[in-house]
Amino acid sequence: MTDQPPRILIVEDDAEAAEALAAAARELGAQPEVVTTYDAGLIAAAGTDYAVVVFDRMLPGGDGIDAIARIRAAGSTALVLVVSALGRAANKIEGLEKGADDYLAKPFDPDELRARLRALLRRQAMQVLDNDMVVLGPVQIRMKARTVHVGNQHVPVSPKEFELIAYFARNAGETVTRTQLLENVWNLHFDPQTNVVDVHVGRLRRKLEQAAGRGVIHTDRGAGYVFDPQRAPQPADDGDAG
Amino acid sequence: MRPRLPLLGSAALRVTLGVAAGIILLSVGAMAVQYRITASALEDRQGELMAAELAGFAQFYEQRRIPGLREAIEARATVTGPDEALYLLQDRNGQRLAGNIASWPEGVVPSGSLFAAAPMVEVPGPAGAYRGVARELPGGFPLLAARAMTPVTETLRELRGTILRVAAGLSALALLAGWLVARAVVGRIGRLNALADRVAGGELSARLPGPRTRDEFGALETHFHAMLDRIEALNRATHRLSDTIAHELRTPLNRIRQRLGRIEGQADEIAALQAEIAGTVRIFDSLLDISSAEAASGQRPGLVPVDFSTLAAEVFDLYAPLAEDRGLQAAARIAPDCWVLGERNLLAQLVSNLLDNAIKFTAPGDRVELTLAPEADRHLLVVSDTGPGLPEELRGEAFDRFTRADRDRDRQGHGLGLALVQAIAARHGARPTLPPVRRGFRIEIAWPKLSRP
Repeated sequence: MTDQPPRILIVEDDAEAAEALAAAARELGAQPEVVTTYDAGLIAAAGTDYAVVVFDRMLPGGDGIDAIARIRAAGSTALVLVVSALGRAANKIEGLEKGADDYLAKPFDPDELRARLRALLRRQAMQVLDNDMVVLGPVQIRMKARTVHVGNQHVPVSPKEFELIAYFARNAGETVTRTQLLENVWNLHFDPQTNVVDVHVGRLRRKLEQAAGRGVIHTDRGAGYVFDPQRAPQPADDGDAG
Repeated sequence: MRPRLPLLGSAALRVTLGVAAGIILLSVGAMAVQYRITASALEDRQGELMAAELAGFAQFYEQRRIPGLREAIEARATVTGPDEALYLLQDRNGQRLAGNIASWPEGVVPSGSLFAAAPMVEVPGPAGAYRGVARELPGGFPLLAARAMTPVTETLRELRGTILRVAAGLSALALLAGWLVARAVVGRIGRLNALADRVAGGELSARLPGPRTRDEFGALETHFHAMLDRIEALNRATHRLSDTIAHELRTPLNRIRQRLGRIEGQADEIAALQAEIAGTVRIFDSLLDISSAEAASGQRPGLVPVDFSTLAAEVFDLYAPLAEDRGLQAAARIAPDCWVLGERNLLAQLVSNLLDNAIKFTAPGDRVELTLAPEADRHLLVVSDTGPGLPEELRGEAFDRFTRADRDRDRQGHGLGLALVQAIAARHGARPTLPPVRRGFRIEIAWPKLSRP
C-alpha cells in the first residue's frame, strides 16, 4: 500500500459531481474509480481494497446510506464519505449515525471536499494515534494531561482550545475547514451565520505564536487553516482568516 | 397522553347499567302486579270461607232460630280460637249467648240483613284486623262473625320478602354483568385508544397486533388501520417531497458551483457568486428545517434525554469570544442539570440562532445575557440583550417566516432565525414568548422538564 497510490471509489450518478470528486482525488495523489449506480457501487466496494468510498444518496437503485452496512458486512475496511444533496443537519446526523465516517452536503466547495478526503486518507494511512505526547516542531501536546508546551514554556489553554489543538495535531500540515472544526471539535452539524470558529482559532493562534515567536496556525485563504509549527514563516500569513 | 379511563366512568358500563336497571324495573313491576293479584285472590278466598260459614249458620237459624244458631256458634267457638276467627251472639240486652269473645268490639255497627255475605266490615280483634259481618237478627239479637286477616297478611309479607330478595339478587347480577361487559368493551376500545395515543405521539407505523374479529370492533379496528395507513402514506410523501426538493435544487446548484471553480480570473466575482449559492442553500435548508420541525411537532420519537445545561453552556462558550471581540458584555447564568427530552443538534441550533441574533443586532457596550433555570415544572431559557429591540409593529409577526425590520435591510439574514426558533421549540413541546421589556430584546422559552435520567 505504500508504493502504490490509495484507491478511491466514487459512486455518483451526476457526471459533474463525479468529475469534481475524481479531480479532487487525483489532486491528492489517489487513484479514483467512478461507478454510477448503487449496485455497481456495492459490487466494486466488495471486490477491491479501497482506502475511501465516496457514496452519493438517491442513486439509481438505492440510498448510499444503506450501502454502508453492506460494505462493512462484506469485509471492506474503506472509510465512507457520503456526499449528498440531502444536506440538512438532520440528514448529516442520520448519515453519521448509520456509520458514515464523514458527510458532505452538495453543493460542496472543492476545497472543503479536498480537506475531507485528505483527512480520511490520512486517518486510513496512520490508523490510531495513541501516543501520549505529540511533538510537532516546538509544540508538545500531552494528550492524557491535556497540556500544551511550546519549547519549555507551558501555554495555558481552555478545555475547548485543547480539543481544538488536538484536532489540529491529528491533521497537522493539512488544511482543515471551519465546518470540519465545528463538526469535530464542537460536535455541531449546522452552519452558524457568523464565523464563530475564526475567533476561537484566532485566540489559540495568538497564544501559540506568542510563545513560539513564529507562525503555528496558518490561514489557507478561503479554505481554512493549516496547523504546521514546522513551516517557515510566510509573508502571506497575515494573522487573520480570509 | 390521555389518562387511562377509569372503569366507572366508562360509557359501556353506564349503558349496561342503564339496560340492567330497565330490566330490574320491569321485573319488579311485574312482581308488583303479581303481588296485587295474589293479595286480592287471598282476600276473595277469605271472603268465600266467610260466606260458606254464614251459609251454615243460616241453615241452623232456619231450622231452630236463635237456639239453633246459638248451638252452632258455640260449636264453632269451641274449636276456633279468637286469633283465627271471632264469633259472638248476644241477646237484646247485650248478654253473650255464644261466642269466643266477651263483648261486642268497639266501633262496629251492625248492618245488612240475616246471613248474606255482603256487606262485610273491618273488625278490630286480638290478632289485629278481621273481616266479617255484624248483623242484628230479627228480635234484636246482634251477631258477629269475622275471620282474622292474619293468613293473608302473613302470606303477603312472605311474598314481599321474596320479591325483595329476588330484586336484590337481580340487581347484584346486573351489576356483575355490567362490570363484565364494560370490562370487555373498555378493553377493546382501550386498545384503540392506546393505539391512537401512540400515533398521536408520532409513532405513525403503530398498529394493533393479531387478526381482526368479525364484529363491529373488528370493523372499527380495520377502519382505524386504513386511516393510519393513509396518514402514514401522506406523511411519507411529504418527506419524499422535501428530499426531492433538496435533491433537485442542490444537484444543479452543485454543477454551477463546480463549474464556477474552474473559471480562471475574476476571483472576487466568483467568490460573490459562491456566497450567493451558499446563501440560497441556507434559505431552503432553513425552510426545510422549519417545516420538518413543525411536522414533527410534539412527537416523541427521535428525542433523547439531553443535558440542556451543558449544551447551552457549550454554545455560549462558542459565542462568548465573539461577543467579547465586539465589545459586548456577555454573561451566562446556567443552572446545572436541566435535562430535557430533545434533539441535541436542534437545541444547539436554537441557542446559536438566539445568540447570533443578539450579537448581530447589538452595538459595543450592550449586554447579552443567557439564562437557563429550573422552574416548578419547566426549564426557562431566556436570552436578552440591550440592543434596539423589536420594532413595535413587528411584535405580532416576529416568528413568521421572512419577517425583517426595514431598518435591518442592510444586515445579513433572511428573517428565518426566529421562525426556526419557534419551530424547534414547538418540536420540543415548548413555546417562545416575547415579554415586553423597557429596553432591548428578550425571549423566554419554557421547556418541559425531564427528571435526570
